[in-house]
Amino acid sequence: MSHLQLIRPEPATGATPARRRKISLDKVAVDFTTRGKTFRAVDDVTIEVPEMQFLALVGPSGCGKSTVLNMVAGLLAPSEGSVTYDGAPVEAANTRVGYMTQKDTLLPWRSVADNIGIAFELRCRKANAAERRERVAEMIDLVGLKGFERHFPAELSGGMRKRAALARMLIYEPETLLLDEPFAALDAQLRILMQQELLRLVERRQMTVILVTHDLEEAVLMADRVMVFTSGPGRIRTERDIPFERPRNAMELRFRPEFSAIHEELWSELKDEFAASVERERRAQ
Amino acid sequence: MWKGSVVRNRQKALNPRVVLVQQLAFLILLIGAWQFVSGRLIPPFYISNPLDIAGVIWKWLADGSIWVHVRSTIVTLFMGYLVGAALGIGLGLALGLSPRTERIVAPFIAALYGLPKVALLPLFVIFFGIGLVSKVALVASVVIFLLFYATLAGVRDIDRDMIDGLRLMGASGEEITRKVRMPAILPWLYTGLRTSLGYALTTTVVSEALSSNRGLGFLIEYSASQFHSAGVFAAVVVLLVLSSAIMVPLGMLERRSKPTRLSH
Repeated sequence: MSHLQLIRPEPATGATPARRRKISLDKVAVDFTTRGKTFRAVDDVTIEVPEMQFLALVGPSGCGKSTVLNMVAGLLAPSEGSVTYDGAPVEAANTRVGYMTQKDTLLPWRSVADNIGIAFELRCRKANAAERRERVAEMIDLVGLKGFERHFPAELSGGMRKRAALARMLIYEPETLLLDEPFAALDAQLRILMQQELLRLVERRQMTVILVTHDLEEAVLMADRVMVFTSGPGRIRTERDIPFERPRNAMELRFRPEFSAIHEELWSELKDEFAASVERERRAQ
Repeated sequence: MWKGSVVRNRQKALNPRVVLVQQLAFLILLIGAWQFVSGRLIPPFYISNPLDIAGVIWKWLADGSIWVHVRSTIVTLFMGYLVGAALGIGLGLALGLSPRTERIVAPFIAALYGLPKVALLPLFVIFFGIGLVSKVALVASVVIFLLFYATLAGVRDIDRDMIDGLRLMGASGEEITRKVRMPAILPWLYTGLRTSLGYALTTTVVSEALSSNRGLGFLIEYSASQFHSAGVFAAVVVLLVLSSAIMVPLGMLERRSKPTRLSH
């Protein structure tokens, strides 16, 4: 299905170099002020992501997972602590990452194809028309939007818009992906296919990934490491390495007993947080 | 059996040619009734009659005296419209991009917006004298606010997330303006320009009636002051033709534009 042309060269086979620290959050806290009240969204979070690691953050909604991504993208400054990328503090929009936000940010006046190809119009990623057309067609094929190239975002379903946004991000193959619930709006079958496609791409391109999801199964299937967040303020409750091989076959993996064991283990941690978050929302009413 | 068309898809499409014939018939009926009533039920002093009105218009056309008024109205309208639109859009962009200044001046602008601009006409006459400039100033003073608020709303409506999304792809500030900010406010400008044209025409005619010696507004006011009802109606008919000539193409343009491209 995927036959992507490569922008970055394939890595030379042989000894893998020691993995550098790609992203690091050091004792980070974030305070938000709404209606005169200040509350802490994220508290004492320390995360280190080595190069080429696939990290998944799971937790109930409103636990500050998206806030973590915003900080790595340079769109939000921490109230306490520091965020660094490749060893340098993140102080402005981080153009090394591709960020797929929960809300798609497709431009409503552009067709699907023109949205996906927009990266190639920018100063830093100029391409000739033929190359652009070819790459856009490949991406549209990859996310299963063939036949919708000339549609506008308002004419698409939520899931289709998500897929267009995914294609827009993947087309320029950023070295790091920040994914905020990328598959939430997709139906079950399509989600499995897209997960597999994304895994394949990430493994081939050796991307570093932070995936935010509330779907524990998705986290365990895709990630090298899973962190469970507490519900508000978001702290790291527990973390666990996921020892499955790379490249990984997500479709087959979910039927293995080891998968079920890890899933169960993490679920026992996560379910308390879900319960706590429901309780908190009930009391807030 | 159902009578009439209850089911939607059984409704017959209206034949446009038939509709046109019916509309013409309606118009002829209306004019005929007017002609009949005038002098029989209502004195012609009040409502004149279509034949007299046609006679006046014919006379104006024959001696060419109408053109100076039509030209004056068109010139006032478009000069006031363009000046007001340019200033309104400029001010809207400037204040939209500097929210701090906007917050300071917002109440003053709102107060001026609420003021009926016709009240400023005497002031404009003192400043600029009776003539084109004072009328253009009045029309511009109406248009400027409409475009200012439309532009401001457009700038505020720009989705920050869209800008952030492009910025992360490495877009420069100039690229963001070209690819996000400008297309995002375009539909707002379009709506503002469309609605303000009607207000501009109204203001033009009022300014001509109040302080001018030419223009269709003046012609209506002048004929009325002579108790020449056929002249009043004739000038209104000319104004009707002029306003239709301006507004109808605008409406057609609007229907043709693709909503998905412009709206969110």
